[in-house]
Amino acid sequence: MMKLLDISKKYGDTTHKYPFEPYHVADNFRGKPAYIFDLCIGCAACGIACPSNAITVQLNAEQNKLIWEFDCGRCIFCGRCDEVCPTGAIRLSEEFELAVKFDKSALIQRGELEVQCCTECKKPFTAKRLVQYSFDCLSKANVSQNRLEEAKDYLRVCPTCKKNATVSNFTTGKEVVIE
Amino acid sequence: MKCDIFIEALGQRVKVLEVTRQYEDQVTALVELNDLPEAVRFLYYDMGGYLSTMIPNDEREINKHFALYYVLSMEGGKMFEGDEVAQDEKCFVTVKTLISPDTLTYPSVTPKVPACVWYEREAYDMFGLIAEGLPDKRRLVLSDDWPDNLHPLRKDAMDYRYRPDMKEHYMEPEFDFLRPEGSGVIDVPLGPLHITADEPGHFRLFCDGDTIIDADYRLFYQHRGMEKLAENRMNYDQMGYLAERVCGICGYAHAIACIESAEKAINLEIPARAQAIRIICSEIERLHSHLLNIGLACEVTGNYNAFMHIFRIREYSMKLAELVTGGRKTYGNVVMGGLRRDMTGVEIKESLQILNIIEAQVDEVWDAVMDDKRQMRRWKGVGILDKQVARDFSAVGPNIRGSGIKRDTRYDHPYDFFKQVKFDVAVVEGGDVFARETVRYLELKSSVSIIRQCFEMMPQTAIIVDPKFHVKPENYALAYVEAPRGDNVHWIMQGSAQKVFRWRCRAATYNNWPSLRFQFRGNTIADAALIVCSLDPCYSCTERVTVVDVKSKKSKILTNKDLKNFSRTQKNSPLKDLR
Repeated sequence: MMKLLDISKKYGDTTHKYPFEPYHVADNFRGKPAYIFDLCIGCAACGIACPSNAITVQLNAEQNKLIWEFDCGRCIFCGRCDEVCPTGAIRLSEEFELAVKFDKSALIQRGELEVQCCTECKKPFTAKRLVQYSFDCLSKANVSQNRLEEAKDYLRVCPTCKKNATVSNFTTGKEVVIE
Repeated sequence: MKCDIFIEALGQRVKVLEVTRQYEDQVTALVELNDLPEAVRFLYYDMGGYLSTMIPNDEREINKHFALYYVLSMEGGKMFEGDEVAQDEKCFVTVKTLISPDTLTYPSVTPKVPACVWYEREAYDMFGLIAEGLPDKRRLVLSDDWPDNLHPLRKDAMDYRYRPDMKEHYMEPEFDFLRPEGSGVIDVPLGPLHITADEPGHFRLFCDGDTIIDADYRLFYQHRGMEKLAENRMNYDQMGYLAERVCGICGYAHAIACIESAEKAINLEIPARAQAIRIICSEIERLHSHLLNIGLACEVTGNYNAFMHIFRIREYSMKLAELVTGGRKTYGNVVMGGLRRDMTGVEIKESLQILNIIEAQVDEVWDAVMDDKRQMRRWKGVGILDKQVARDFSAVGPNIRGSGIKRDTRYDHPYDFFKQVKFDVAVVEGGDVFARETVRYLELKSSVSIIRQCFEMMPQTAIIVDPKFHVKPENYALAYVEAPRGDNVHWIMQGSAQKVFRWRCRAATYNNWPSLRFQFRGNTIADAALIVCSLDPCYSCTERVTVVDVKSKKSKILTNKDLKNFSRTQKNSPLKDLR
C-alpha cells in the first residue's frame, strides 16, 4: 500500500491540461479525413474505395449537381480514400475532436460539383472538373494536336452514347480512323 | 504429413468416408452421422484434442445437406508432464458430418464431450439443427421473443435487414434458469450490466446465505448478426474491417484471424515483414488488454490506487499503438495479402524507448500490488477453475494457463512470425484469480520481449503481395490467433462473387463462459464480480453482431418521453419509419 504511494510521489502529475492546452498526437496519426473542395474532381474513387460507405458521390434529385458527401459518423479512419485520391483532395488530418451535441448533421460534409451533360443524350453523367482533368492529362501526354481537338468532343459524350455510337459504326460498316 | 497419424487412428475406431486436406496442418474427415459422438470423443479424450470451434453450415446449395464441422486442436491432453503431442505433429483435425434436411437431427456430442454444449445450442438457434440427447436445449443466442421457426443463418430464412416484431413486455417468454433444488436457496441477480466491464449480461446466482451454490447466466444481449451481414453484403476488402469491430479490445486479433482464414483457404503466403508487423500489433494489443484486466481486478476489489497506476502505464501502450499504426486502436490495417501500413525506422526507435518504460514500470507496480496483503487476500483461493473442468470445457487463454495447463496457440500452432520468435509460455498452478492475474503479468513481460525480437529481426521485404489471387468457391480453412483472452478461431468457406459463403467467428470468451458456473460455486456474493472480471470476459465479442439502415439513411433523435414510452410499452417503435 505504502509502496504505491511512493510510486505516486515518484511520477507526480501524469495528466494533460487538455482541453486548456492542445493535445499532440503522433506524426502519422489517422484522424478525420480533410476534404479540399478546390482539388476534388468528382471521380468517385474514394466513394468506391470506402469500405464503410462513409463517402458517397451521387447526383442530386434535380440532376444538376454532383454531390460529394462524407458522413464522419460512419468513418472508420482506414485511410483508403487518401490512398486512392488522384489529386490529393482528401487527406487524413490530425483532427480527433469529433463529438457533436445532438445535431448529427454537423458530422456531414458536402461538396457540390458542376455536372457535365452528354452532348448526345443531354443527360448528366459526370463532373465538369473530371472532364477538364482528363483533358489536362491528355494534353500533358504525347498526343497530336488533332487528336486533342477531337478529345474535346468525345470527352463530353457519356459512356452509354459512346457504346451506342461504336455499335452503330460497327454495324453500318463506317470506318473511324484513329491517328 | 501432419495429421495422418490421427486420421489413421480415427479410421480404426469409426468408418471414415472421406479425407480432405485444407492446409498443411488442417485435415477434414467425413464420418457417418451416428459415428459423430464417438469420433469426436475419441479425438478429444483418447488422442488429446481440445475443441477449437464447431461450425454448422447450410450446404443445401452445394450437396443438399446441412453440415457440421467439429474442429479439434490436436495438442495433447496436457493434464500431466509429458501428456502432449510432439511439436511437429500438432495440427487441427475436423470431423465433418452431413445432416439430411428432412430429419434435421443429429446425435449430440455434449454427453461425451461437455465442451460442445454452447456450440450445439447455437446450432439450433441459427440453423434449427436438433441435437438428440443434448441435456440443455434452451436458447443461447436469439432473444426469448424471437419467432420460433425462424433460424436466421439458413440461406433461405430471411433478408439480413429483416427484424421480427418484438413482443409486448408481458407476453415475452421468461428465460428458464437452471435452478438447483433445495429449500433456502436465494436468487441473486447480477446484471443486466456487469459492474466493471459495463457490458450486458445477466447472471443469476443461487445462494445459500452468503455462499454461491450454483449460477446460471443469460448472455447474447448484443448479438449483432455480423456473420449474416458478412455473408450478404461484404467483400473481402470490407470483411477485415468488420471483423475488427467484433471486439473493442482484441479487434486486431479478429482481423488477422478472419483475413488469414481467407488467405489459408487459397494457400496464400504473405511477406515476412507483414507477418512480423501483424505479430507486433497483436502483442501491443495484448499489452493494453492485460493491463486493463489487472487494473480492473484491482478496481473491483476497491484498490483504486493500483488501478490508476496500472492505467497510467496502459496509456504508454496506447501511445505505442498510435505511434506504429496511426490510431490508438490498431485498426484499419489488415487486408488480404498483407498489410496497408509499414513501420518506419524512426517509429521503431521511439517504440523501443516506450517499451523500456512499460517494462520497468509494470514491475514496479506489480511488486507494490504483491506487497499489499489485503489485495492478495481478495485474489487468492477465489474462483478456482479445476484442472479437469478446464480440460472438459476446452477453456482458453490465461483462464486455462492459470489452472496449470500449458495451452497457448502461439506455442502449439505457431502462426506468422512466431516460428522465429522465442518466448516462454506462462503457466501458473492454482486456478484462482491470483493465478490468472499472475499469468497476465508474466505475459506482459513476454509480450515486451516478443515485440523487441520482432523489431530486431524485422525482415526487409514488401508488406503486401501482388493481389493476383483467385478465390475458389467452396474452399474453406481455419485460422487461429492467440488474442489476449485466448485463441480466436475464424473459419471461412468461400463463395462466389468475392463473397464468403459462411464465416464463423469464435471469440476466445465463448469457450470460457460454459465453465464459469463451476468457478462461482463455493464463493461469496462479494467475489462474484471479481470472478467474472478475472475471466476477462468480452461480451460483445462472444455475441458478434446491430445494423443501421444504410440505404434509407434516415435517422432521428428521440425525445426522452418517446424513448421512455417505448421502453415501457414496446409499442409504436420510433424506429419503424426508418426501415
